Amino acid sequence: MRKLLQATGIILVASALLLLMQKWLMPTAAPVAGANNTIYFYNWGDYIDPDILAQFEEETGYRVVYETFDSNEAMMTKVAQGGTPYDLIVPSEYTIEMMRDEGLLMPLDHSKIVGLENLDPRFMDQAFDPGNEYSIPYFWGTLGIIYDTRKYSPEDVAQWRNLWEPKFKNDILIYDGARESLGIGLLANGHSLNTKDDAILHKVARDLTGFMANVKGILADEIKMYLVQEEVGVGITFSGEAAMALEENENLAYHLPAEGSNIWFDNLAIPASAQNPEGAYALINYLLEPEIAAQNADYIWYSSPNQAAYDLIDPKAREDEMLYPDDEEIARLEAFQDLGQETTILYNDLFLELKLAP
Amino acid sequence: MQRSNSLLAKIYLVLIFLILYAPIVYLIVYSFNSGGTMNEFTGFTMEHYQNLFADKRLLSIVLDTLLVALLSAFVATVIGTAGAIYIYSVRRPKQREHLMSGNNLLMVMPDVIIGASFLILFTYILPVPLGFWSVLLSHIAFNIPIVVLMVLPRLYAMNPSMLLAAEDLGASFGQILDRVILPNISSGILTGFFMALTYSLDDFAVTFFVTGGGFTTLAVEVYSRARRGVSLEINALSTLMFLLSLVLVVLYYSIQMRDARSNKGGRSHA
Repeated sequence: MRKLLQATGIILVASALLLLMQKWLMPTAAPVAGANNTIYFYNWGDYIDPDILAQFEEETGYRVVYETFDSNEAMMTKVAQGGTPYDLIVPSEYTIEMMRDEGLLMPLDHSKIVGLENLDPRFMDQAFDPGNEYSIPYFWGTLGIIYDTRKYSPEDVAQWRNLWEPKFKNDILIYDGARESLGIGLLANGHSLNTKDDAILHKVARDLTGFMANVKGILADEIKMYLVQEEVGVGITFSGEAAMALEENENLAYHLPAEGSNIWFDNLAIPASAQNPEGAYALINYLLEPEIAAQNADYIWYSSPNQAAYDLIDPKAREDEMLYPDDEEIARLEAFQDLGQETTILYNDLFLELKLAP
Repeated sequence: MQRSNSLLAKIYLVLIFLILYAPIVYLIVYSFNSGGTMNEFTGFTMEHYQNLFADKRLLSIVLDTLLVALLSAFVATVIGTAGAIYIYSVRRPKQREHLMSGNNLLMVMPDVIIGASFLILFTYILPVPLGFWSVLLSHIAFNIPIVVLMVLPRLYAMNPSMLLAAEDLGASFGQILDRVILPNISSGILTGFFMALTYSLDDFAVTFFVTGGGFTTLAVEVYSRARRGVSLEINALSTLMFLLSLVLVVLYYSIQMRDARSNKGGRSHA
């Protein structure tokens, strides 16, 4: 009995110590009387320069509670379920549509946003959110081909269609996503990435079985590592990932195929359930400031949609055509739209069949 | 024959330990890599440890995680021990069986289902805002069955005549609990506590659903960082946590050994 009491004491003392350390580490800022000064920011993991949040807190007196998620679906579930206090979230394009249709987003009051004109008009008014009624772009990027320049020439990967050639046998890694993977087939056959036609999709899936023979693996973030270590010659992944891989291995190159490709956007949006929309606007405005946007882009190393920030971004990134492709290439890119539940299921089923096929 | 057997056993053991510890050693080695990734070892640096100690948010998450683990394991141990004693005291075998299957059902239920149910509970039924309390409550809940499972065998290993004897001598329930039951099952209680502690530390699925309001645990944070490739800061953190658990385990065993030795000494004197 005494032993158990001793153990209880130790546990309680340890807990108290932890609490004290916590208080010492993160002194809670004295709340401004009467004002709601806490902003709950729900973002992807490691997707903002932490210094920016500290600067923002210091300059404005707001306190930012930063929380992270790892997928659009997980984030949407949390927001839809309620009971969450998030004031600012970062959904990708198709999620904006889904959340808007379920009434989960607050329409943006453009008169409260300062610096909207800093954003590149090419990335505004997209099909997933006409007039930027609910969202403004935070970062963007593309889906393309990374290849080993010692194994293949640029002509070898000029088009998606080239990847069907037998010389790529067992030498391609693709991204584990139904829309990304079926998208390769759709583009190679001259269709839109947002095709909803069942017959076309089935045909494309049949066509992709030839391509799958060349595929060595279906992975996610590991793709860049395998390319760096030269385990494979070709990987299909996102520009941000590619930038990291190219940094590590100078024999790699990134290419957007001639048939076009996917452009993705992560966007700032305010949930309908936000407790502190004023604070969210303040944070949005801060992130739109050119110096801050540039600082953030230099930290994350993805493409910033902030035109005014462009000249302030690290020249190494700015001059990188992988991160900032020219107008001609951007014109060939297409963003994902929400397909509706039925077609989404069809995409998933077809992709699953492709994965299972020998 | 005996010798070769033990040699085989030793090789087998070494192999198992190699497989178990190789990834951890690999992780620890790369926490000192100046290259910044796990691709290639380019040189020694302490940079990742400096980054770790500069990252106050991550450190505060570690503290929160430990706090939740300690408190939830503690409360679950108290409730679970009481529950185990109750199950032990139930006379009708049928009823006892039902109670046990109720307990085991919670053990085998997928974490995702438990997490989703807690999310529904906390948002629709109990008005607990997502954050520290929701995480603590759900961790206590999924830790209780583990403690029950650890304590029950100790109860059944007890000699029932001791209880009868204590009753015959006129001991109240409180006295029986204090003098007979608890001392006999204390090792089971401690094991239950430590199991609950580790369960709480590494749970991702349940915790994911019930975190919110700026409160998060290490498992959830590391998982959401993984999208951009886990930075070596996480390696540094894992290294420190590994060392800490090593120290704790060594401490725990040395205390046990000391207790065992002093017990033996006492008996020989008597």
